[in-house]
Amino acid sequence: MAVLKAAQPSPKPRVNEDMEAVIALEADAQLMLRVRAGDDTSFGLLLERHRGPVVHFMYRMVQNQAVSEELAQEVFLRVYRSRETYEPTAKFTTWLFRIATHVALNSIRDRKKEKGHESLSDSDEMLDGKERQVADRQPTVEQEMVHEVKIREVRQAIEDLPSKQRVAVLMHKYEGLGYAQIAEALSCSESAIKSLLFRAYESLRGRLAHMA
Amino acid sequence: MNCLSENEEGLDLLTGYLAKTLDPVRAAELDCHVQECANCRALMRAWTRLDEFAVPEVSPDFDARLYARIAAEQASRTSGWRRWFWLPLAPVAAGLVAMVLYTHVRVPDSPQQTSRMEIEQMAQAVDDLDLLTPIDR
Repeated sequence: MAVLKAAQPSPKPRVNEDMEAVIALEADAQLMLRVRAGDDTSFGLLLERHRGPVVHFMYRMVQNQAVSEELAQEVFLRVYRSRETYEPTAKFTTWLFRIATHVALNSIRDRKKEKGHESLSDSDEMLDGKERQVADRQPTVEQEMVHEVKIREVRQAIEDLPSKQRVAVLMHKYEGLGYAQIAEALSCSESAIKSLLFRAYESLRGRLAHMA
Repeated sequence: MNCLSENEEGLDLLTGYLAKTLDPVRAAELDCHVQECANCRALMRAWTRLDEFAVPEVSPDFDARLYARIAAEQASRTSGWRRWFWLPLAPVAAGLVAMVLYTHVRVPDSPQQTSRMEIEQMAQAVDDLDLLTPIDR
């Protein structure tokens, strides 16, 4: 049974990246350059640092734990495969999420081709975990049901966004990427990303604001 | 103040407001606006509700599985490399094998061939012995 982890505290400040973030990004590129030079320990450090964000991004994209981990592994495999030709021309995180976006969108496209629109197959697992998490507070059955409905609603609202909007929202809201990074990851201009996010949040407002 | 949901900069204001990183004057303006604007309250609620999308912990064997895939891929790449390395040498190797077979493994000679060879060998032996004569002297 999966243990649920609360969403990252949000929102995060993104307009001006703090120095710590800049240092971390440079450190990522340095680590990747060491991987290129044959240092596999550095790959382990990169994995340690980015494993969670990539798996969680994938989970919110495909809403299935097994599939999300499989796809996240594919992302790290591609990073490892590319080590010999890696050049730090973009921020490592941007590059990583660019790969993750390609992998996720390809998977969603393939799954749609194979099965049609997939249901929220592991939502029960998710909700069971959530129940366990809130058990200490001993909510009433009614409270639990309302909570489950709310969670389903959020998941469904995210899933119903067009793919590109969904990617942009997940990167912006949950991973704390700035407009420039999202733009680079999605091969768009920053203004296009702002517009995309604006439309996405408007859509989510319409879907989610009625039940707070 | 403009409604947050009416301009694209509203998103920056919203995130700044909720993260409490806006300057106090701007934040106070937004406070007042939100009290009056149902749209902005709705946008903030939607944004906050997205936090309910919890994620499961990553499986403890995630790294082990990844490293196993990397190792398997490297192993297959190595064997593939070896295969490709040896492939161009295959005709050369085949030629060498054929030559060895030709020179060392002979098909049994027919009796006629054997007698001719024996005559030749005897003649050669006589010639070789002739070569020894001056040394004896």
